[in-house]
Amino acid sequence: MDRYAWRRLRNSIVITLSIGATALGLGWLILILGSLVYEGLSGLSLAVFTQMTPPPGADGGLLNPIIGSLILTVLAILIGTPIGMLAGTYMAEYGKFAKLTVVVRFINDILLSAPSIVVGLFVYEILVAPMGHFSGWAGAVALALIVIPVVVRTTEDMLSLVPKELRESATALGLPLAHVIRYVSYRAALAGIITGVLLAVARISGETAPLLFTALNNQFFSTNLNAPISSLPVVIFQFALSPYEDWQKLAWIGALIITFAVLALSITARALSASRKSP
Amino acid sequence: MNSLAGISHGVQSPAPTIADRSIDDAGKPAAKILIRNLNFYYGDNKALKSINVPLYERKVTAFIGPSGCGKSTLLRILNRIYSLYPHQRAEGDVLLDGANILDPGQDLNLLRARIGMVFQKPTPFPMSIYENIAFGVRLFEKLSRAEIDERVQSALRRAAIWDEVKDKLQANGLSLSGGQQQRLCIARTVALRPEVILLDEPCSALDPISTAKIEELIDELKDDYTIAIVTHNMQQAARVSDYTAFMYLGELVEFDTTSKMFTSPGDRRTQDYITGRFG
Amino acid sequence: MAMMMEHTIKAFDADLQDLARMIAEMGGLAERQIGDALDALNRHDAVLARGIVAADARIDALQREIEEKAILTIARRQPMAVDLRDIVSALRVSNDLERIGDLAKNIAKRVEVVENELKLQKVMRGVEHMTELVLTQIKDVLDAFARRDVGKAVQVWRGDEEVDAVNNSLFRELLTYMMEDPRNISVCIHLLFCAKNIERMGDHATNIAETIYYKVEGHALTDERPKGDTTSTTNIPYRDER
Repeated sequence: MDRYAWRRLRNSIVITLSIGATALGLGWLILILGSLVYEGLSGLSLAVFTQMTPPPGADGGLLNPIIGSLILTVLAILIGTPIGMLAGTYMAEYGKFAKLTVVVRFINDILLSAPSIVVGLFVYEILVAPMGHFSGWAGAVALALIVIPVVVRTTEDMLSLVPKELRESATALGLPLAHVIRYVSYRAALAGIITGVLLAVARISGETAPLLFTALNNQFFSTNLNAPISSLPVVIFQFALSPYEDWQKLAWIGALIITFAVLALSITARALSASRKSP
Repeated sequence: MNSLAGISHGVQSPAPTIADRSIDDAGKPAAKILIRNLNFYYGDNKALKSINVPLYERKVTAFIGPSGCGKSTLLRILNRIYSLYPHQRAEGDVLLDGANILDPGQDLNLLRARIGMVFQKPTPFPMSIYENIAFGVRLFEKLSRAEIDERVQSALRRAAIWDEVKDKLQANGLSLSGGQQQRLCIARTVALRPEVILLDEPCSALDPISTAKIEELIDELKDDYTIAIVTHNMQQAARVSDYTAFMYLGELVEFDTTSKMFTSPGDRRTQDYITGRFG
Repeated sequence: MAMMMEHTIKAFDADLQDLARMIAEMGGLAERQIGDALDALNRHDAVLARGIVAADARIDALQREIEEKAILTIARRQPMAVDLRDIVSALRVSNDLERIGDLAKNIAKRVEVVENELKLQKVMRGVEHMTELVLTQIKDVLDAFARRDVGKAVQVWRGDEEVDAVNNSLFRELLTYMMEDPRNISVCIHLLFCAKNIERMGDHATNIAETIYYKVEGHALTDERPKGDTTSTTNIPYRDER
């Protein structure tokens, strides 16, 4: 066998293996999505978005967990994004060469990969236990704690990607650093930072573990943040484990809603980062 | 060759002799910037060694030399852009109209408004062509809308790009071609009405036509500004400059009129470099 | 003078060497033309004279080649400093050599009409002496050119004074012959032109010497050159010997 034939053979073997691996990964994803759609789509109706979670055996929807999830997510982003962006800005712009930045980056990386149940327990200890009851606030704080490291990381990364020449030429015009950051660095990194925030939203909208210890659940419609509040992941968790078929059905529907909401967010994030590359 | 030995006045000669000595007997220019016994360090690494050189008022001074000889480093000292980075340190005198800009009390933003800089890579800010120029102006002066319009237009005219962009002032600066972007950057610098313009290899990323336009621009600008240009292109230095300084391994080897430097340089190393006999 | 370091682009060195080689070839040809012209004049050799006229075409062709090569090298290599001066010097020297060739040709053209009469032997020896002097000057200056020898170039530059002195005495002598006997006038005028041509060759040698100085030192030779040519003011009053 001459060396070209051998080379072609090796090439086709590796290509086949690669395609196989890709197919395996995609296959499971398609199976998951497929079963979600199969189980969930049939029950999807307007009632899901207008009615409360029912007692077993009765008709109902997912209105209270959907609203609860929206409130918790928006609150968590509102709390987490400014903190994360400020920290990321410090690390990329002011403290680029500081030792503190190295320490913060290390701790942030640990937080980024910390199990979310630990975050839930932590918030339970500092908020739920002293207050004496579960609450929406505690849930929002727990989710914010997950948002912060993601936003810190993307902000720092995106600002660091701003070419040093751009920052230097702004500085060379006599702009103070605060102006350089506001008018030049942020503008150049904006799409990237928004992408990071959207990814954080996607990340927290599926979290169950931290909410079990903080916001718990509420069978009734409530927007009171001092009381337990319902959320989609927790309801899915509860209903899916129940023996009642109609509850299980609602759990499938909830999972379908979350999955497609996250999918929509991811696609938006992708589109944004693509537009960043070709302004 | 002995008869020429006195004309090369590099490191050995004491600083005042360079300043006091009139090189061009016809012009007798005054030194806008006078660099005396300047040393520069990147951490422990000494990058510039006892540099003595004047920048004559309303003249173009070119800095040439092989990569890493310190010519860009020297330019970056003149507007103290190096101060952005820790561990970079300059010692000696850089006298701008007699005042040492290396003094710790020097207001860097005001200094940079007086000494503008254009970088190797065109760096339009991620905003409209109009805003690219207007926003620096607004920072330093309180002007009416009409006055700013006027300032933007005159800067764009000065940079010989007005005709190409007058119909699309609101377009993004990044939509321009490389040569146009670089002229936009020059316009941005000119708009602040600096006294000195530093050009750090402004044409190295441009095609020959754009390069010619920038060179023509330099020729026009020198009526009003003191210009220092770093270039790898010796023909460019020969074309645009009145004075040329040759640097090698962090030392200023030779400084003289461009006509002298490119026809009969005094130092052997200068000659070897400009005739293409370097290692 | 120390050897120049090579260019990073080797082909540039080759270009410069080509130019130097062509100048050397031109110089050799010009020297031979002068020698041949003198021989032809001495021996009244019309065949040799025609050979000289024909050979001048090669010198002219070389000059054109050098010009083309120099312009091409400037266009392609954008020479600076010493290289630029080298190339400009080659252009200038090739011009001088081409003129020297023309002057030799001009002498050769006069060979047929200059009768080698016995009583003009003394004048002929003067012409011969002057030619040899100029030939040495040209040899030395070409040598100085090839070796970038400023000292030698300046020596040639000053040596032209001697050529001028010989030319002056020859001029007086020829005037005297013409006054002695009007039948000599025709021959003497031709010889006068020959002498003038040879003196002009010497001037071109000093031009080349100045070019060498510029090429090596980077600026013009500004000293006042000792000038010895007084023929333009020489006057021998006609004395009627009645």
